[in-house]
Amino acid sequence: MIIEIALLCGLVLFSAAAIVFRDLLKAAICLAVASLLLGIIFFRMKAPYIGAFEISVVAGLITVLFITTIALTKTGGDVRESKAASWIFPLFFIVFLVLDFFVMRGLMGKIPALEATPEQGTFGEVLWKMRTFDLVGQIGIIFAGVLAVLALFRKRDKDE
Amino acid sequence: MSSTWLLYMAFAAGLVFIGLYCLLSMRNLVKLFIGIEVISKGVSLALVATGFAKKNILVAQALAVTFIVIEVSVVATALAIIINTYRHTGSLDVRRLTKLKG
Repeated sequence: MIIEIALLCGLVLFSAAAIVFRDLLKAAICLAVASLLLGIIFFRMKAPYIGAFEISVVAGLITVLFITTIALTKTGGDVRESKAASWIFPLFFIVFLVLDFFVMRGLMGKIPALEATPEQGTFGEVLWKMRTFDLVGQIGIIFAGVLAVLALFRKRDKDE
Repeated sequence: MSSTWLLYMAFAAGLVFIGLYCLLSMRNLVKLFIGIEVISKGVSLALVATGFAKKNILVAQALAVTFIVIEVSVVATALAIIINTYRHTGSLDVRRLTKLKG
């Protein structure tokens, strides 16, 4: 359990670092490290498929997309953030953590234990037989994303 | 098992808080999107942790895979919009978008 708590603390710290860093490249890399830690947490929860998905897609592909965007918009990266926002963040975050701790501790005895019904079969069977329509939705979403990117980078016709 | 679930929920709430703070206080478009990514990490942690606590990890994984596919699609579209906005206004400042042009 100690390893899990350390991994969760690392996840929150790297996510906070991604927000605090002014340099966008450092922020994107912190986000990738946070995804990597989340993937390891998923592996330790005995969820290897989503762990592999998280590491390959979120830590890999999305970071590449972020870094490409940062490279393409290099000169525009010097947006002046308000100084108060970065000063206040640690204060707000500590207050939130204290509240979070007390709320969760208060809920500990009150929420009844979750009903645990061990499931049968494999991940493939669950995905193909129980969640078939999710796959249809996923295909639709991927097509929508591809078409949206194509529409956004469309070249102008000569007569326009 | 309930206390483990609450522990994961506490950390997931922390991630959602960090993302919401970023969305409310930052001005850089890429930074705002990093905030959305942090929120989505909290949500996927909550999904898988609930499945883990209920011993329904396979369904939770199937849901989280769907969530990640949607996330990738949204990221690709939003980053394309950010690049187009940068070409249009020459800046990544979100305040530049408040000015309407006729």
